[in-house]
Amino acid sequence: MNLAICLLLARRFVEKSQIREVVEGYHGLSDAAFERTFERDKDELRGMGVPVETGSNSVLFPDDIGYRIRRKDFELPPISFTAEETAALGLAATVWESATQAEQAVSALAKLRAAGVDPDPERLAGLAPSIGAREPAFAEIWAATSERVTVRFSYKGQPRRVQPWAMAYRRGSWYLVALDVDKGERRTFKVSRIDSEVTRMGKPGSYHVPGEVEMDAVLAGLEPGPADAEAIVAIRDGRAADLRRRARPAAAEADAVPCGFSAFAVTYSRTGDFVGEVCAHGSDVIVLAPAGIRRSVIAQLKAVAGGRK
Amino acid sequence: MTSVDQVSRLLALVPYLQHHPDAELEATAQVFGVSSRQLIADLNVLWYCGLPGGGPGDLIEIDMDAVNDSGRIRLSNAEYLDRPMRFTPDEALSLVVALRTVRELAPASAAPGIDSALAKLEQATGTLAATAKVAVASGSAELRDLLAQAISDAVLVRLEYTDAGQDLTTPLVAPARLIVRDGFGYLQGWSLDRQAWRTYRLDRISSAEPTGDASPALPEPPEFGPGWLEQRPEAAEVTLRLRSEAAWVAEYYPIRKVRRGEDWLEVDLLVADPGWLRSLLLRLGRMVISVQPEPARQAASEAAAEALAAYQAG
Repeated sequence: MNLAICLLLARRFVEKSQIREVVEGYHGLSDAAFERTFERDKDELRGMGVPVETGSNSVLFPDDIGYRIRRKDFELPPISFTAEETAALGLAATVWESATQAEQAVSALAKLRAAGVDPDPERLAGLAPSIGAREPAFAEIWAATSERVTVRFSYKGQPRRVQPWAMAYRRGSWYLVALDVDKGERRTFKVSRIDSEVTRMGKPGSYHVPGEVEMDAVLAGLEPGPADAEAIVAIRDGRAADLRRRARPAAAEADAVPCGFSAFAVTYSRTGDFVGEVCAHGSDVIVLAPAGIRRSVIAQLKAVAGGRK
Repeated sequence: MTSVDQVSRLLALVPYLQHHPDAELEATAQVFGVSSRQLIADLNVLWYCGLPGGGPGDLIEIDMDAVNDSGRIRLSNAEYLDRPMRFTPDEALSLVVALRTVRELAPASAAPGIDSALAKLEQATGTLAATAKVAVASGSAELRDLLAQAISDAVLVRLEYTDAGQDLTTPLVAPARLIVRDGFGYLQGWSLDRQAWRTYRLDRISSAEPTGDASPALPEPPEFGPGWLEQRPEAAEVTLRLRSEAAWVAEYYPIRKVRRGEDWLEVDLLVADPGWLRSLLLRLGRMVISVQPEPARQAASEAAAEALAAYQAG
């Protein structure tokens, strides 16, 4: 702490011998003990993100190495928030369920409060968002992504070496977007399918992450493909609201539509998923066309009905 | 000796206390996410910190008597440390993701404030903030607007709601709060029909109409934490043995236990609604090897037979 204050106040690089003299915690230490303690403190400061610079004040004697912390690199830049923004930040600090990220968010908000930002908890009352992670590899992948550390792990049984770029949370699952170092290509990994320990390789910040525009495109790729196929189905009146929402009324031969049903055209992207979706509705949804889907649905229903005793 | 976490906290504590003169011990401990005992330990360390030299005029001054007597913290002689440190990458990412989660659940009226807060954070933290995205299935912003308004006005709403068994229902609900669980947004409210707390998935609410009647006085809604399903008395454990191709089930639904064999997996899950399980079994079709207890499968078989009859009639 004193070392941080000492270096922060200095306008110039402070040499090690000077530091030893002025920082009270270093008094009374033997040479070796001082070296050890100083190196440890300096590394710890760097580890927590304090930018401790090394350099020399002198052009003539560049070997006289000293240390300093530049204020503008250290301090949170001036930042001010409106009442609405502040309320959102206050709520954000309560969102994480995973202990590590919760601590980090609380500590980030504490820094904002230390800069004079004070959230009013009454605003946004009635909202209780939360986010968490059940994936065993999550913590390691998260840390590697935020620090930009290359990692290796086994994914569905295959060894991978990747540079983590970004993480995305969708419908309760975490995904990692990363450069696969061996293939030289970008890949998306579902974090729950990482089936080994995650091992760090190399130092933090050792690679560059492409800009945001490209990232948005990558993450959009997680959404299901475009619903470009269409089927005609009969839906029992008042049922299957989820299908009905993406359907439009369709014409069908009157005798094909049972009494109490209406015909709809509904789009889908993957045949297998759509067959399952229709079957899940039991007798409330009947496929009229195309014939292939109709046959698949009947086959699946027969398989389930066959389990009857 | 001071730990890394402590020094990191002290560097924020000093400017915080200068921005909040006479800060309360308890409230301050809460802001920093530590116990008040830890905070006092922090203050005792700060007491020995200050300008190089370590003389009486150089040290940070804390009125420890005020701390001990009235729980107030007064700190002075630290003007040189009046701004907090920059965010670490982990802090920045954690806060940005949390804020994005808030954004996903927020009503339309709160969205501009959240967007501009995000933009400012991203400016303060650089490109890092772009490296995490969050998507929550939480219905339309207009619906959330309406529900948020009903919550703050404390009025009843009539929902049009498709329940997990695909039945369309129209419950009368006293809305209490909007929450997120496992990537889905929910309305938590008191069902006047059931006289019980219920949760309604936002993407399954097709409409919500305020009735104009005031909500009854409600106790604090139950915590909807991880494992919330287990608190529902009607939930029963079901074990499915599935072919390996259906491994997605273990990732998609809250599962209590998974066992894996060579070409199969067995999942234990809690089922609160038999209609939901029937739908799942119909959806999985041949992927299902066996179901315990047996009656669950019986219900799915009967539903399948009924559907087949409709095909044969048509």
